[in-house]
Parts: sequence; C-alpha cells; structure tokens
Amino acid sequence: MTSNTRALASAGALVVAGALVLSGCGGSGFDDTGDSGDAGDGGLTSSDDALSILIGSSGEAETAAVEEAVAAWSAESGVDATVSVANDLPQQLSQGFAAGSPPDLFYLAPEAIAGYAGNGSLVAYGSELENIDDFYPSLVENFTVEDEFYCAPKDFSTLALIINTDLWEAAGFTEADIPTTWEELSAVSSALTTDGRVGLAFGPEYQRVGTFMAQAGGGMVVDGEAIANSSENVEALEYVQEHMVDGTFAYSSDIGAGWGGEAFGKQLAAMVIEGNWIGGAMSADFPDVPYIVAELPAGPAGQGTLQFTNCWGMAADSPNQQAALELVEYLTSTEQQLAFSEAFGPMPSIASAADAWTDANPDLGAFLTGADYAQFPPNQEGSVDVIADFNAQLESLKTGDPQQILDSVQANLEAVTG
Amino acid sequence: MTVTAVGDTAVVSEARPPRRVRSGPSKRLWGQILLYALLVALAIIYIYPFLVAVATSFKSDAEAAVDPISLIPNVFSWAAYETLFGRSAFPLWFMNSTIVTISVTLGRVFFVSLAGYALARLHFRGRGVIFALVIAVMAVPGVVLLIPRFLVLNQIGIYDSYAGMILPLLVDAAGVFIMKNFFESIPVSIEEQARIDGAGTFRVFWSVVLPMARPALITIIILSFQGSWNELSHFIVSTQSPELTTLTKGVASLASGQLSQGSQYPIKLAASVIMTIPVALMFFIFQKKIMSTTEGALKG
Amino acid sequence: MTTRVIAPRRSGPSRIRTGEGVAGWVFTAPIIIILGVFLFIPVLMALWVSVSDWTGRGSPLSGNVSFVGLDNYAAVTTGGGLPERNFGISLRNIAWYTLLVVPLQTILSLFLAVLVSRAILRGRGVFRTAFYFPSVTSTVAIVVLWLFLFSTNGVINEVLSWFGINGPNWFSDPRGIVHIAAGAVGLGAGPEALVSSGFLGITWWEWLAGPSVALSAFILMAVFTTSGTFMLLFVAALQGVGVELGEAGMMDGATGWQRFWHITLPQLRPTLFTVLTLGLIGCWQMFEQIYTGTQGGPGKTTLTPAYLSYQSAFISQDWGQGSAIAFILFVIIIFFTIVQRWLLRERPVSKRRARRYQVRGQRS
Repeated sequence: MTSNTRALASAGALVVAGALVLSGCGGSGFDDTGDSGDAGDGGLTSSDDALSILIGSSGEAETAAVEEAVAAWSAESGVDATVSVANDLPQQLSQGFAAGSPPDLFYLAPEAIAGYAGNGSLVAYGSELENIDDFYPSLVENFTVEDEFYCAPKDFSTLALIINTDLWEAAGFTEADIPTTWEELSAVSSALTTDGRVGLAFGPEYQRVGTFMAQAGGGMVVDGEAIANSSENVEALEYVQEHMVDGTFAYSSDIGAGWGGEAFGKQLAAMVIEGNWIGGAMSADFPDVPYIVAELPAGPAGQGTLQFTNCWGMAADSPNQQAALELVEYLTSTEQQLAFSEAFGPMPSIASAADAWTDANPDLGAFLTGADYAQFPPNQEGSVDVIADFNAQLESLKTGDPQQILDSVQANLEAVTG
Repeated sequence: MTVTAVGDTAVVSEARPPRRVRSGPSKRLWGQILLYALLVALAIIYIYPFLVAVATSFKSDAEAAVDPISLIPNVFSWAAYETLFGRSAFPLWFMNSTIVTISVTLGRVFFVSLAGYALARLHFRGRGVIFALVIAVMAVPGVVLLIPRFLVLNQIGIYDSYAGMILPLLVDAAGVFIMKNFFESIPVSIEEQARIDGAGTFRVFWSVVLPMARPALITIIILSFQGSWNELSHFIVSTQSPELTTLTKGVASLASGQLSQGSQYPIKLAASVIMTIPVALMFFIFQKKIMSTTEGALKG
Repeated sequence: MTTRVIAPRRSGPSRIRTGEGVAGWVFTAPIIIILGVFLFIPVLMALWVSVSDWTGRGSPLSGNVSFVGLDNYAAVTTGGGLPERNFGISLRNIAWYTLLVVPLQTILSLFLAVLVSRAILRGRGVFRTAFYFPSVTSTVAIVVLWLFLFSTNGVINEVLSWFGINGPNWFSDPRGIVHIAAGAVGLGAGPEALVSSGFLGITWWEWLAGPSVALSAFILMAVFTTSGTFMLLFVAALQGVGVELGEAGMMDGATGWQRFWHITLPQLRPTLFTVLTLGLIGCWQMFEQIYTGTQGGPGKTTLTPAYLSYQSAFISQDWGQGSAIAFILFVIIIFFTIVQRWLLRERPVSKRRARRYQVRGQRS
C-alpha cells in the first residue's frame, strides 16, 4: 500500500510540476504582442516578414483576381505576400487568434467585428488610411466600433432579382412585365413555374428572405432596437410562406441546388434573388444562361433589399502592419476595385469609383440603385448566432408559424441589443 | 427421452438425433438457399456503395447527377483524377498523411511495447497505479479532448507543426493493453535464461522478447496505421496552415466548406476512393489478423 | 546469483530486483509523459477554461483571466438564451440518435453474425469481409459517399422511386420523423400542453420530434459502418456457445427461435453488454460526421453536443461555454457506462427461475 501511495504521489507531483512549468513558460503560442517588430504607442508594427492573407472566396474568379492583385503589389513593393482561401473563414480566424498566429489580413464581416475587436484581436488602422474620406459613410459606420474605425471596406453588394431571359421571353413577357410590386411578382412567378422548375428561388436564410422583410417595412434592428417580431415582418414571412406552399417560390436547397446561383444556372428556377457575385459565378460555371438584373419589387412599404460588405481586417498580432496597410490602400484604390468588380462583380466601396463602375457595368445598374434603400444585417456582438438560429428556423418556414419564429428571434435579438 | 439422453451424453454428442420432428431434406435445402440468398443480398448492399463510388469517380459531373446508379460510366472520364492530382493540393495532403501515419505507427510500436513489457514483466513501484491510469485513460472519450488539446498544444508551442500532429497520437492505451497481454503469455523461462547470461533489462527486452512478439506487433501496426490514417478531429485542432493539411481534413473540406463548389461528385468521390485505398489494401492483406484482433481487442 | 534463480517467483514488492525498478520507470516514462501532457493536463486546462472567462486571446493561464465559477455551465443549462437552446437541441438530437442507432446496430450485427455462422466455412470469410469492410474506411470517406448516395437525385431516391416512393431531400430536410408520422395521422401542430412548456429552451413537442430526416440518414450510416465490427464480436461469441446446451434444448422440443432466445442469447450476455456499451459511447461522441457533412444543419437538427462544443469554442469564440459543454458530455458518457454496467451485471438467479431450468431426472 505505501509503495503504491508513494507512486501515486510522485505521479501526481510530476503532473503538478508539469502544469506549473507550462503556465510559467507561457509558451510561444500565446504571445500577446508581436515581438518581432517595433510597435510604438498607437503605431503600426513594421518588419520584413511576409504577409499572409486569408480570404473567403465566392469562387475561382475571386481567388484568381485577389491573387493577381496581391502578386502585382508584391512585385512593386518588394514584400512577399501569399493568399490562402479559407475553408471556413470564421473558424480559421477564431483558431488563428486563439493560437496567436492569425493571418495578417483577412476578410472581416460586420457581424464578426464586434467580437474580435472586443477581445483585442484587431488593430484599428482605419484612421491611418490615405483614402479614408473616399469610403461611403454607411460602410464606414458598419466597421466602426466604439468610435474607432477598424478596417477599410473592400467592396459592397446588394441583392437584386436575376431573371433568365430565355425563360422570360418564352413565357411571353417583355421588359415592361418586370415585377415592381408583390402582386406582380406573384403573377410572374406563377407563370414561370412549370414541372421541375420554380418561378423564384433563393437561399434558405435571412440573408435572402430579409429582402421581403425590408420591403414590408420591417427589419431586424433599427436605431439599436430589435424589431424582429413586428407585424410587418410577419406579413413578409407569410407572403413567402404562401408562395412556398403553392409551389411558385422555393428554397434553393429544396430544389437540389447548393445556392441560388446554382439553381439559376441549372435552370431549376427562372428567377433568383442574388447579389453581385452572381456575375462571376455565371460566367465561370454557367456561361450559356442569359440573364438580366432587375431591382427587387416593392412591397407594402416600398422598395427594400439587403446589402453586404466586408472589410480588410488586420490582426493585432501581425508583425508587419505597416506593409499590410499599404497593401490595403492598394487593394482599395479605384483602379484595383474596378478590376475586382470586373472579375467577380461587387461594387467599389469608394464614392469616386461609382461613375466609372456604372459606365463599365451598364447591365448591373440595379445593384447600385439598390444601395439607396438597402438595409444592413445586424452587426451587434452575438448577432451571428441569432441569425444562425433564425436561419435554422427559416428552413421550416413552409410548415412553420411565422409569428412564433419571429418571436423567438426577437427574444434572442433583445438579448444582444439590450 | 430426456432420461435416456441424459444417461448417454456421449451418444447425443456423437450422433445427430433422428430428424423425426423436423421435415425432410428439402426443407433444409430451402433453408440453406434462403440463408445464402439473404447473405448475398446483404453483402451486395454493403459493397455496392463503394463500387458506385469508384464508378462515379470516372463519370463526368453531369452524368453523375443524371444517372447515379449505374456502375459503368457512359463516357469514361479521367477528369476527376486529373483535377485532383494536377490542380489541387491533393498530393500534398497524401504526403502529409503518409508522414504522420508512418511516424505515429513507428513511435507507437516502440513506446507501446516498451510500456507493455514493463507492465507485464518488470516489477517496480507504482506498476499497479500506472496500469490503472492506462485503463482510466481508455475511458476518456476523444471528443472531450478537442478543446483541451488545442490549448495545450498552443501553450507548449507545437501548434501548427508536424510535432503537434504526431506527438499526441504517439501513445494509445489500447495498444499498451494488447502488448501487456501478449507479453504475459510469453514463458518467463526465456527471459530468465537471458538474464542468467548476463543481459540487462533493455537487452532482454530488445533482443529476446520483442522478436517473439511479432504477431502482437503486427496487430499494433495495423491498428496504428488505421487509426492515424483515418484520424480527423485531432488534425482539425492541431493545425491551421494549408501546408499541413492531411487527407482527412482535405477531403472534409472538399465535402463541404468553401472548397466544395456545387455538387461535383466525381472529384469528391475520387478523393475518398484514393483515401480509402491504403487502408483497404492493408485490410485485404491482413484480413484474418484484423478481424480476429478486433474481437480480441474489443473483448478485452 | 544461483540462489535467486532457484527461489520461487511468487514475488511481492519486496522482491524488486535492482535495475528493474529503474528500468520499469524508464520504460513507461514515454507513455506517462505523453499521456500526462496530452491527456491529463489538457483535461485540467479545459476544466480551468470552463470556469473562467477566457475570451480566446493570450494564454488562459495568464493573469487577466479570472475565475467565474459555474457561470458557463449555468449559461448552457439554465441561461434562458441561445446557448441553452442550442444545448437542448443538441441533447435532443443525440438522444434520438442513440435511441435508434444502438438497438438497430446491435440487432443487425447479431443477425449478420447468426447468418454468417451458419454459412459453410469457405463462404464465411467472404461474407465477413464484405460486412466488415465499411468499418475500416475513414469517417470522412463514408460521409462523402453518403452525401452522394442520399442527395436529392441520388441513388437512394432513385431506388425508392422504383417502389413509387418520392424520397425526401435527405440531408436538407429538417422535419422530425415522429412529427411527419404525427402529421400523417392528422396531429399537425402539437397538443397545447406539449407546446406551451419545455425543457432547456425547447418545447416538449420539439423534444418528441424524433430525429430529422437528415439525422436519419446519419443513423443509417452509423448502422452501416459499425455493424461489421460488432458482427465479429458476436461471431466469436457464437463460436463459444456450447453446442450441448443447444442440443439439449432441441431434445426438449424447443423450436429454433426458443432455443435462440432462451439458450443462445443469455450466453451472449457479456458480448451483448460490450456491444451496447461501445455503441452507446460511440454514439454520444458523434462529431466528425457532422463536421464533414452538415455542420449542424439543416435547421440545427444534426447538431450534436460534441459539435456544439467545438462550434462554441472554435467558431463563436465562447471557449468557456465550449469547455463546459465538453465536460457535461464527459459526465453523461461516464454515467451511461456505469448504468450499463449495473443493468447488465451478473445477477444471482432467483430460485423460481432456477427451478424452470432444472432437468427432471438424474444428471450425471
């Protein structure tokens, strides 16, 4: 017995000693400040390290465009930079931050910024930007946390109605028939729905269904208040539900497609609600499908759509933030943003490029006009989970109860806005 | 009947009792036919998915969507494999998996046999405690270790490196168990003999006992190979850079996640087919061994 | 030296030979270190994180991380918000999954074992191989395969269409199968009593929803991949079943089914216990299939506690909650193991039952 206890004690001592050593040495993985560069107070770090850029690509077109741009800058500036495509951007960012080895630059969504800014993972370089005054104010607002402008918006997109012109004309419609109200949308979808094809398809998520909510005069958060279960939102969801039941609207997942663009390309739907990125996807994967982009119809409260934007987040742990800043300025320049736009469709985040964009993309005007009345998804800390839960419930919208769904979303939303 | 049967147990076990109660041979024949029909049908159900996977990997994307059942592609196409090997990081994944699997297998064989021998044959203080701890370890479910391992790897500083991928997998409690059981079955006299001849403990282990442990070592090799080649959750938490992606993590990213563009089944299935080939090969070669080992290991 | 050799080897701790003590520790040092560093210490660290407010930056053992008691555990079990709801949903999913997988895989593997044992020797090997092969492949490969087979226009739906059944959109269908059945009988929405109250953030009606169609596809996958392994166990056990008892049963006029139920099955008890325990433990750990396949969707119906733990920590940066969920999972698994052991323990046969099995007449 005694030898056993002794053994146990020594094993235990080993373990405890190990734990103390571990906590003491702290490990190189958990460095709080990048020590391989000098970081003056409030200044950016600078060193010779290469930059790593992590993007969440919408397809090959986007990846190729970003890689090309970064390579060009690299050659010019002499700083090495590599682009990687994330398999799961939020997860890889979280893991990278926790491990103390995040990428230097990365796509950052508004809903993610609150969390990362809160725990110090980001550096607020917005005020250092040369072209800071050129960005659209609404975009800047999205990326400002506690009066600090964190990151440069890289582009933005809105949602519009994408119509398959072949099927449109085959149904006997002309440009005058493009729906501008909900009633017209119902009629047109009905006419375009046949066996094996629905009139209108969209992804099973708030990021698409939310357009109807905006058109009905609802939304998620207005002036810091959660309005998820307003009667306007209920009206919107009931409208969608009605048409899902009669078969003229459908979720892209229910008709066997991974997203709206795929449903559109495979002609499983005659119309879809999608954003600027549809251009790149169509020319890459489904070049033979002709389409036009029209503004979404107006609902009871007028026109409404959603807009999305991402920014170039910069890690606080990055050893070479100065070079990263220069890269961001390059990537958000007029010339570069127009090049990106041409490659995969989004609209430039700087006002000075608006005219050039409209000239270069006459067919995509509906996206830009949408910006006038577009809503942003909520971006409070914790709203990502609320939206995720909302999306989970939306998947059963066809057989569900809109009021109940929205009530639970309201409860969750109040928890994060309160 | 009972009484006579009980009194003559020998008679009962030698000769089959007269089948007066049962029907004639035709019923038995039907029984057998039914049995085999059932077995064959079930076997087909079990094998068919893999056949379809191989077949689909040779179809074009469109054909795979339109005609998923057929086992023979209309138009035989190597496109999936070309993309996989030519225009993706698949070869890198394969290489990483190979490196990790070989390292883990070699390491495990060595450490586990050392520990198994010590627990079986060497008398030292605390032997019982260590053995109890090994058994306790077997009870810890793997999923509970996801977050913790990530934290420790970071703390030590081997996160996102080959060391981080290999070291935690180097010891396997079940393996220690198997080796211990095996060593206990080796007659002590052999070791005694070696000791009389003046060999030290390690010498006895390395030159005398270990060579005799070949069957058990093969078992450990097979289990380690299979375990580390098919491992996924550990690689998720221990790496983040694309250069260290293994086959499991890579194919998982093909299945869902950003790298899966639409429903490109031929590529995904081609990847999973190639990923399965090494373990399948190992399985077919060591079939009997694997199947009898599983029974033994799980029973114990 | 000679004296030592002759002495009997019934040695206790007092008979430790010099050098052997050191060797023993040296030999086991590698596994102690590795198990200690990568198993015990991680568990301790996770325990600390689960009772702290670490946000994911810097070391969790650094100075500015403070102790928050059971806050994380409370948030997940009684918090009243999304974390509690997600945890409740994950528990519901995994409970239904386990409820269906364990019996199905046990019965199927036993059935296969019985069939295989009756086949002639030569054929046996082929069939054993066929049934065991899925167990050898990696989870990722099987999930990819399953996503293909169960896609909207995939193999399974096509086969179902031969029988006139319109297969569901398997991995995208969040409806619970019990709800579907209830709907077919006319119970569209749940009865008021079940809808108004709930546990862990979801109503009783939702608890009774059954596994979703997507989860059912995973259930079939689990049965497919594990039945081979357990079949081997049963085959080995069946070989050990005494032939004489079966013969004696036949003498007593028992039918094949009665023989199986009353003679063979009780002898398989230890194996049965092993299979049930392993099955149970395996089910509760479900993670890789979800990571590879559906990431919790559709509609959170394939969310499992293990995946929720991973998601909370690695994606939502709620490391404390993620660790708390992992530990709760740990406790649940250990609990079930203990319950299993207790339920299937060897109980002394009651006198009444013993009398039923007494053979009339003399026994040699």
